[in-house]
Amino acid sequence: MTADEYIAVRQYTETEKYNIFDGELMPHIQSMYNFAFRLTQDEDDANDLVQDTYLKAFRFINSFERGTNAKAWLFRILKNSFINDYRRKSKEPSKVDYQEVETYYDSEEMAGTSQTTDLRAETVQELLGDEVTNALNALPIDFRTVLILCDVEGFTYEEMAKILDIPIGTVRSRLHRARMLLKEKLKTYASSMGYDTSEESEDEDSL
Amino acid sequence: MTPMTPESSSSAEAEKVVKKEQCENHAECMKLIQMVLDGEAGSEEIEHVRQNLGKCLPCTNGYNLQKAIKEALQFRVEHKPVPQNLADCIKSKIQNLEK
Repeated sequence: MTADEYIAVRQYTETEKYNIFDGELMPHIQSMYNFAFRLTQDEDDANDLVQDTYLKAFRFINSFERGTNAKAWLFRILKNSFINDYRRKSKEPSKVDYQEVETYYDSEEMAGTSQTTDLRAETVQELLGDEVTNALNALPIDFRTVLILCDVEGFTYEEMAKILDIPIGTVRSRLHRARMLLKEKLKTYASSMGYDTSEESEDEDSL
Repeated sequence: MTPMTPESSSSAEAEKVVKKEQCENHAECMKLIQMVLDGEAGSEEIEHVRQNLGKCLPCTNGYNLQKAIKEALQFRVEHKPVPQNLADCIKSKIQNLEK
């Protein structure tokens, strides 16, 4: 483990370690569990992943600078543990054809096809939490992750760049693609459920 | 004397503001809009988007949709409650680590 989240910057006493752990790390357990569950989509796996992450955090607590961004540090460890230990054995369907998705959306962007709004803001506002969650869960993991970090957990681009080990520009473009993908999912879902997804004025008359 | 904005006024003058139906720069606009909604844009960018929204229909629709999606994720995605014994379990494992 050479990643910089594990490099010691301090030499805390035993008491300090426990104080930091209880005072700065444990308060994030709700967000951590939620993130783990969104990644693994399984309660037991989420449980194990959070435990592993906290044990690692304690082991490497000397690499945490007291009073700094504990949540981002923990999320980074959790995300790395997930990739290294869980992703392979998780129930994540198939290898994500990530490259393919990226390429597709690149060409989509070039063509500027997102110009016409084919999903209405009002329709999205009517969707239930579960429906939104299902659409989110249906996204490939890398796209799901940026949306969880940004919108569900409220991290800044800079924090996300650190958590994910990618440049800020990549955070931005991945978010952009994630939202386009999510929009497609929501649109498909909304029309299958009989929500009005068209913005043609003739449809408004017929309602 | 109230300042005139595209949204605000009932004066005949303001009603003449017709938003354009096509955006020649939509992909770029949407990137800026994303940054504004994410709270990552500077004041110049915010002002640019604000002015643009008064003039451009695809950007207005894009903004409203993007905002609705962001709010759905922020406020309507269920937070999974932490299993009751998870925190205790972690703490007891920590206590037993180096003993």
